[in-house]
Amino acid sequence: MNALLNWLDNRTGYKHLMQEALYEPIPGGARWRYVWGSTLTFVFSVQVITGFFLWSAYSPSTQSAWESVNYIQNEMAYGWLVRGIHHFAAQAMMILLALHFFQVIIDGAYKAPREINFWMGLVLLQIVLGLSLTGYLLPWDQKGYYATQVATNIAGVTPVIGSQIQQIAQGGSTYGHQTLTRFFALHAGVLPTLLVVFLAIHIAVFRRHGITVPKHAMDKPAAMFWPDQVLKDAIACLAVLATILFFVVYKGAELSSPADPAEAYSAPRPEWYFLFLFRFLKFEEIDKLGLAFGAIYIPGMVFTIIALMPFIGKWKLGHRFNVAFSFGLLLGAAYLTGLAIIEDQADPDYRAAVAEAHRDSQRAVELTRREEGAPPQGALALLKTDPLTQGPRLFARHCSSCHRYDGHDGTGRLIIVTEGEGEHKTTTPVPPQAPDLGKFGTRDWAKEVLVNYHELFAPLKNLTLENKNIGERFLAGDMANWVTENKAALTDPANADDLKALAEFLVQQTGRKDLEPVDATLADAGKAVFSTGKLKNGALSSSCADCHDPGNGAPLLVGYGSKDWLKRFVLNPGHADFYGDNNAMVPFEGKLSDRELQLLLDWMTGDYYRAEKAAAH
Amino acid sequence: MTDPAAPDATSAPPPKHDPPRRNFFAEVASVLIGGLVGLVPLAAGIAFFMDPLLRKRSSMRGQTEDGYLPVAKLSDLPTDGTPLRFSIIADKIDAWNLFKQQTIGTVYLRNIAGNVIAFNDVCPHLGCKIDYKSSNKSFFCPCHASAFALDGKKTNPIPPRDMDGLTVRVTDGEVWVKYQNFKRGCAEQIALQ
Repeated sequence: MNALLNWLDNRTGYKHLMQEALYEPIPGGARWRYVWGSTLTFVFSVQVITGFFLWSAYSPSTQSAWESVNYIQNEMAYGWLVRGIHHFAAQAMMILLALHFFQVIIDGAYKAPREINFWMGLVLLQIVLGLSLTGYLLPWDQKGYYATQVATNIAGVTPVIGSQIQQIAQGGSTYGHQTLTRFFALHAGVLPTLLVVFLAIHIAVFRRHGITVPKHAMDKPAAMFWPDQVLKDAIACLAVLATILFFVVYKGAELSSPADPAEAYSAPRPEWYFLFLFRFLKFEEIDKLGLAFGAIYIPGMVFTIIALMPFIGKWKLGHRFNVAFSFGLLLGAAYLTGLAIIEDQADPDYRAAVAEAHRDSQRAVELTRREEGAPPQGALALLKTDPLTQGPRLFARHCSSCHRYDGHDGTGRLIIVTEGEGEHKTTTPVPPQAPDLGKFGTRDWAKEVLVNYHELFAPLKNLTLENKNIGERFLAGDMANWVTENKAALTDPANADDLKALAEFLVQQTGRKDLEPVDATLADAGKAVFSTGKLKNGALSSSCADCHDPGNGAPLLVGYGSKDWLKRFVLNPGHADFYGDNNAMVPFEGKLSDRELQLLLDWMTGDYYRAEKAAAH
Repeated sequence: MTDPAAPDATSAPPPKHDPPRRNFFAEVASVLIGGLVGLVPLAAGIAFFMDPLLRKRSSMRGQTEDGYLPVAKLSDLPTDGTPLRFSIIADKIDAWNLFKQQTIGTVYLRNIAGNVIAFNDVCPHLGCKIDYKSSNKSFFCPCHASAFALDGKKTNPIPPRDMDGLTVRVTDGEVWVKYQNFKRGCAEQIALQ
């Protein structure tokens, strides 16, 4: 063995190299505060390793980026683990960079003769930020897409050369295939190479000057880098890795729904470490000074001050200024980050948008898990043709000015008006002018119409102008009076089965698959009640058929609540088969495209794909 | 320090020697922990890279439960036994995509007096497509000159085995083939899936 190693050493001189690398004396002994540089190098190696493997499965094009990342995350063996490590290690790097920076500032390690190495460190910081920015776009999900739009648009407001820089980065005037191929080349090729080069210089120069030993440790005995400091470094790396793995297992790397240039991501926020900058740009005073001022000049000035720290440090109070300035920045960033989080938490619209984004991402994964997989034009097409995704949005856009859906606008947002600013801000719900359709067509809905008509249609009171009369007529009309007369009989426990049977009969009319199974015997019993009005205990003041049979003046209930009935109703609710002269609803003929109407109706009648798992409960 | 640019290390005192026992413990611990932290991402990555071996996925869809696909009408085949090449149409599954109704392969069909036989047209040697030479009524691979008789038997030593026959079923004048690919370059016929 020894002979072999000697043979190797003769030809490579590895022993000398190892000696150089490991037997570095550390004045004052090994210390925990020296570990940050090593942990950063370690995390970078982790990124290189996991990055290479992710590269082997990633496909950079607008039709396959999200699809391949989704495939990595949800289908491939250990894909969640490799992508998870890469995702959280990137964030760990930000924290470690900050710790390394503060250790350098506090210990005065930026001072002569280490100025150049300090600047090398700043270059490395910029490269890591570049890696983070370019990597964020690669999954081509809504979150990355819109967050990166902000970044490239900020680059675009750089004076003089901004728009050229933006076009070069994007590979054109808008985002597309070339944006991904360019970002990918930067992320996996150019930036890591630069990082390796600068890291090598950084470490070589560091070795030349050695560690900056704190004053109080100067008189302690020296130790060797190997194994004393290596052991401390290794333990620190282990702690970092354990933290990363904790997040991978308990949180998992996020993948929001496929990027959709046509649909704004309603909860756009940068990754947490850029939140402070995001919040900073939102200040009205900063906004007034122009985007370039807040996004380029101010950060540029701050960075210039940091770069000048070695010179500032030469002055009498310079070091104290540097430390105070750095902590000031940290506190400011922490304050702005906290402010952004608190504001978002207090904003119901933002919370609803986050929930919607989460639903969309879950749905996108669910839809690609079907046997059909993702269509060749990309998984986005699945969401675009999915009633469960599009129905609520169409409802919010076209129906929610009058109706509600389980109390909200269909997408989970409350319909409110906000008045005032800051502490005087008050929000009041906008009263609906038509019934809540969350349960439309279901058994519960049928029962509500029969016994709680006044409550269900109470929003009609809020109708205004020429429709005011109609609303009042509705609530004092034949059906309203019928419910008043028959509520007692229908809620009589002895007639509970009759009410259930009527509801079953009405649900049978809908023909909806999601309400199956329909109890046919019960529905037949309901039909008998419908036409005769006879109850177990007593009878209805008049049967349903007395009014609802064709030609009797009330809306036709044949096929009530079915997709076809609903389609005819939505297009022309004032038709003689429906409300006739009593109609107060806007006819939607010509207001929705056929495709939109179909998506809306499919959603309202529960006709959309359900994953097996969801069907079970 | 007079010259701030001089390396500090040169002025550092020579290191004191710790007791060898403690050093030994620190060295072993360093190697173990260092190895572990390096190995975890590497092992995860390698396991991920082994996905094709760890997760079996089918590459096509649309065949019957016992694996048959419709290929041609019996009446399309010449009755004198001349081989004709036909496309196998099925849904092709490629990682995250499903491409509907694609040609997933081609086969030779021969009708020998009402008895239909089929060959996979992929050469068992190294996977090129075998041509039919009508001039000398034989099969010939343009890559490495593998040659086969009309019944699929190899006629020179280049291919390791005969052409891969496929099972055929004729129902209501329709020819169905159980389409399979086989490992190339070996004497035994091993189905790929």
